[in-house]
Amino acid sequence: MKITHIKLIEILWLLLIALTLFSAYVAEIPNPGLDSVVIMALVLAIKGRIIVDYFMELKDSHIVLRTLMQVYFYVIPALIILVYLFPEEIAAWTVL
Amino acid sequence: MTTIVLASPTLATRSAKIPGNMAIWAAILSEMSEFAIMFIVYFLAKVHNPEIFKEGPTKLSTLAGTSNTIIMLTSSFFVVRAVIAMRENSPEKSVRWLWGAVLCGVLYLIIKYFEYEWNTSQGISTETNIFYAVYYYVTFNHFLHVGWGSAAIIWVIYRLNTGIYTQEEHEGLINIALYWHMIDLAWITIFPLLYVIR
Repeated sequence: MKITHIKLIEILWLLLIALTLFSAYVAEIPNPGLDSVVIMALVLAIKGRIIVDYFMELKDSHIVLRTLMQVYFYVIPALIILVYLFPEEIAAWTVL
Repeated sequence: MTTIVLASPTLATRSAKIPGNMAIWAAILSEMSEFAIMFIVYFLAKVHNPEIFKEGPTKLSTLAGTSNTIIMLTSSFFVVRAVIAMRENSPEKSVRWLWGAVLCGVLYLIIKYFEYEWNTSQGISTETNIFYAVYYYVTFNHFLHVGWGSAAIIWVIYRLNTGIYTQEEHEGLINIALYWHMIDLAWITIFPLLYVIR
């Protein structure tokens, strides 16, 4: 089966919407734990990667530009998980 | 087996592996750095005020946040379609897709305005606590980006209508498309941080 460029963009757009609705569902969970935080971090990483790779079309572009943009969506999700797991340690390191 | 076939050359292959020009990338990387600083401030404020940040998102409108996320993603989709239409030498179609993106931008601004009004009626302001101070600082900054981003798209529509852009040369359109995706990227990060994660 062949997928045209437009069809691919449409599928990715619908996937982004589905991931957003899933996030809204997680937002309403009464007592979210580590699992929901990890899921949200993963959802952000996936959404960011789709936009960077396919909407901005950086997938096959200059390596420095592509890496800078892709790394953003590894670092922020990683920080989300680290801040949830080690809030006291990070607070202790960041006292003036 | 599924094979993905791109109907037209990508932005990257058409312009020496860098979509758009270097000026727009300097702007995009600067803006991404600016938002990164705001996100670091959010993380630091959160670890120092865990209870306030756990409570904060529960009083915000998830409906407004979700609606605006869907609107931003849809506007980005419209912008991609506008670029594809131009590559297919259909400037009229490109203009229609861009007006769709502008409409999304305006809808976003209207929803954000009513969200702020709703917050005020709930007794939430910039001085309520540090969570809402961060929330207003980050979201109002993003609000401004959507405002001037929409205005820039209207400028590109004007340029398209004057016939300046061609199938081969439409870098101005590509630049605003990239800038708009950056605004979208900032919002998809803001949404989980302020509305979802507690």
